[in-house]
Amino acid sequence: MSARTAAPVRRSFDRALFAILCLGLLLAVVLTALLPFDGPAAPVLALFPINVLIYLGAGVFAWYHRPSNRMGALILLAGVWMFLGGIANTNIAILAAIGTVGQVLPLAGLVHLLLAFPSGRLPDGISRATVIVGYVNSLLLQAPSYLFVADSLLPGLMLAELPALAEWFDVAQEIVGFAVLLSTLVILARRLVRSSAIERRVLLPLYVYGMAVVVVFLFASRVLRPFFAWAPLDIAALQLSLLCGVPIAFALGALRGGISRTGELEELGVWLGETPHTKTEIGAALARTLGDPTLEIWFWMPRTDNYVDAAGTEVTSAQRQEHRGIEPIELDGRRIGAISCDISLMSDPELVRTAGRVVAIAIDRERLIAELVESHRALQLSRERLVEVADMERRRIAQNLHDWLQVQLVLLALDAQQLAIAGGSRETVHERATELRKGIDTAATALREVVHEVMPAALTQRGLSAAAEDLVDRMPILTTLTLGVADGECSPVVESTAYFVVAEALANAVKHSRAGAIAVSLRREAEVLHVEIHDNGDGGAQLGGGFGLTGMTERVSALGGKLRMDSEQGRGTTIRAEIPCEL
Amino acid sequence: MRIVIGEDEALLRRGLELMLTDAGFEVAAVAADAEMLETVVEEHRPDLVITDIRMPPTFTDEGLVAARRIRARFAGTAVVVLSQHVQRRYAVELLSGQAGGLGYLLKQRISDVEQFIDDLHRVAEGGTAIDPDVVAVMVSRARRADSAVGALTPRQQEVLGLMAEGRSNASIASRLFLTEKAVVQHTSRIYDALGLALDSDAHRRVLAVLHYLTQN
Repeated sequence: MSARTAAPVRRSFDRALFAILCLGLLLAVVLTALLPFDGPAAPVLALFPINVLIYLGAGVFAWYHRPSNRMGALILLAGVWMFLGGIANTNIAILAAIGTVGQVLPLAGLVHLLLAFPSGRLPDGISRATVIVGYVNSLLLQAPSYLFVADSLLPGLMLAELPALAEWFDVAQEIVGFAVLLSTLVILARRLVRSSAIERRVLLPLYVYGMAVVVVFLFASRVLRPFFAWAPLDIAALQLSLLCGVPIAFALGALRGGISRTGELEELGVWLGETPHTKTEIGAALARTLGDPTLEIWFWMPRTDNYVDAAGTEVTSAQRQEHRGIEPIELDGRRIGAISCDISLMSDPELVRTAGRVVAIAIDRERLIAELVESHRALQLSRERLVEVADMERRRIAQNLHDWLQVQLVLLALDAQQLAIAGGSRETVHERATELRKGIDTAATALREVVHEVMPAALTQRGLSAAAEDLVDRMPILTTLTLGVADGECSPVVESTAYFVVAEALANAVKHSRAGAIAVSLRREAEVLHVEIHDNGDGGAQLGGGFGLTGMTERVSALGGKLRMDSEQGRGTTIRAEIPCEL
Repeated sequence: MRIVIGEDEALLRRGLELMLTDAGFEVAAVAADAEMLETVVEEHRPDLVITDIRMPPTFTDEGLVAARRIRARFAGTAVVVLSQHVQRRYAVELLSGQAGGLGYLLKQRISDVEQFIDDLHRVAEGGTAIDPDVVAVMVSRARRADSAVGALTPRQQEVLGLMAEGRSNASIASRLFLTEKAVVQHTSRIYDALGLALDSDAHRRVLAVLHYLTQN
């Protein structure tokens, strides 16, 4: 996602952020100008504009890089509370008044940041309530301290001098503040318990730091001053210094997974529409958009009922069970893939879902291409195997003819020659000539068998049922044939394929199964030829053992059919082939 | 005896012609395809027709089809069908509804000239000649599927097979080195076992046996 392809909304967003940055800088300058740097408190006061600048910088930086994450905006909001704290110290009455009203807001802001991390949203009712109570406590319960006390920082805001009431509210504020703190602690602790080890590495330091700041803020004046004799200025300096670190910590937390800029979903859509992209490119684009470099796209393979990754490797169940979010991607109601991501990095689970919908079509296209490549590869392999099987068959025939028949014929020729040379009595010649004729007969029978095996006469003369009948007739094991197809109902290539499936299955049954009975069934059902050979033998046979049935499987699938074998040990063997009758 | 030969292989046609002439037959005509065969049969009205099952133009079973047509048109003409491969179905088709005078043999059997000539004579005289290969298929099939055949002794099964081939008692006796009387005993036991009606006509008995073996 280069700058060139940035969507219009993105450019608009950039301009808005730039405006916020300028405004923030301006406010920091104004604050610096207005603060009275002539007293002993000057170093402490200087921390206010520094704080504002840090919040501004961190907020804008986080928001820029993670547009869909609300943490950037929240950091900027906390910067505003910081600014209010700053102007409370100026000498301009109205600004000082506003500042005084919002003086304790940074504390509520800090609680808000802590509870909203990492998405920027308050995920549940209890955290929302805690933050609201925090803000109410900071704004309303703070009010009596300047409304009813004469010697507050700003006497102009006093309504009536009621120090007792102010004191009472002060105690109430502290109790409520303590409750907010406690609630925050409990919520954060619960989140830590529920989080994965990876998440905890990020959350724990942030929480500890955040909570430490809250505690110091609340109790510094109660503990440090009476027990350690700290000067109020020192305490203020400590508090402000600690607050400086807050935006930096949260910005870093929100930017885990790299500071490269994430994009908007709209941009992702524009990018997807431009050119074809590879699976890995889509994965990378999605990783950038959602800000998780570990994000992966998996593709659903219906055939194996499992996901594969971009490299085509099957996803193991261990990978699926890792502490990661898996968001299925669907298109038209079918599952086509999933986004596997670090759920702790996701500002919003809904965003992952939406992103999945945006890339669904592209992923489906990639998946289809992958399937196409895969099926092309399978086709190639199948062709190779068919050629291989044909070669094996030729080699076998050649070997039969050569090893046996040729040798036999040479021997017969020798006999004939010897008969010519030796001569002898009429009876002897007659006898030897008859022997020779018988030898030639045997050789002719062998040749006939070879030819018959290659292409049985009945198959070419009549068709499948006649040929299958002849095959079954010659079985040494009791074999029944059920015919539900007439010769010529299926195309010749389908018939011959079915025939050779039966022949191969029967040959295997005779050789290996030790079956007592075999049942062959051939029937046509709705333009599909069903071939079934069942024996009651040992079972435990496997496809691919030899070239026989493997070659048959290839032949059947080349015709758009399928062949499968059930051969449980001790349950006999059943071979079923379904072949479309017409090609 | 006048013979017509239907065979598309010129060499084999010529060989058959020479052999048959040598054996004392008169070869009236030869034909290279089924259509021509019917024409020359019509012309010469031979006593016996020898035809290959597989001939042009389709090289399937036109020889068999021609044989049935010849039998239908010229009653009393004996026909021997030769084939590279014999099978039960063709035998059944050839024999069904026919009287005697039929043969169905492997082409290869020609080389045993004596036996072959013997078979031709038998067929020409109204007998039957069924190839041992296809009879073996029938008998072994019947042995597994039919308890009556399965219960026969091996020797009886052997006799049954030879009977199915169409051989006479004398021929069976010489082949099995038995006396004709012993063969008669065997055959009558076989008839009993299979529940076949006794028939004085030798050929009708053969047809009964074949019918029994090819039922179902």
